[in-house]
Amino acid sequence: MMNRFLFGTKLWVVLHVAAIAFFFWLGHFIQFK
Amino acid sequence: MTQRIYVKSTLLLGLFTVCLSGLFFHLRFHSVADNPSNFVPAIAGILSLLVVPILFYMKRTLSYGYVLNGMLAIIGAITMVHFSISHLSPEYTLKTLFFKTLFSDILILGGVFFTGKALFDLDTFGYSAEIERKGRFLRYPGYGWWALHLTVISTVYALGNHFWR
Repeated sequence: MMNRFLFGTKLWVVLHVAAIAFFFWLGHFIQFK
Repeated sequence: MTQRIYVKSTLLLGLFTVCLSGLFFHLRFHSVADNPSNFVPAIAGILSLLVVPILFYMKRTLSYGYVLNGMLAIIGAITMVHFSISHLSPEYTLKTLFFKTLFSDILILGGVFFTGKALFDLDTFGYSAEIERKGRFLRYPGYGWWALHLTVISTVYALGNHFWR
């Protein structure tokens, strides 16, 4: 069985929600103009 | 010293030197005082130099090192593409796209990503020449999994940049 790294765990869900929020904020935070 | 430790140390040294050069490049061209956005490469550079090698070194945290290293490369690629688009030359030729954007700098991140991939794969799947490659393309830790994450993260970043100003 291949290691799928946290897939199916609560931490996987938490990381994905946090990552979506973080990258959405990052898009807002980084302004070059 | 075993061959495994020797190869792993060489790859870690390669990763460390590329990340150090990246951090110095950023510090040379722009200070964090000029624009708050410049904190991002500074923090990413410090994470790449201090945290990623430790995570890669220990077998228990190898996967975390692999994911963090790849995510930092993705953040670098997305933000540098963003910078290139916002400073795009009015004339669109292949020459301006290759030489008047951060295209070459983004390619350096390829070195960071692929060195991390080699570190992970060698430790996870072994060092023998006879081992057959297994695993699905779109599933962790394959290239498809990274392509999927690059696409989704780019989209979320673009939405944040466009809708939240």
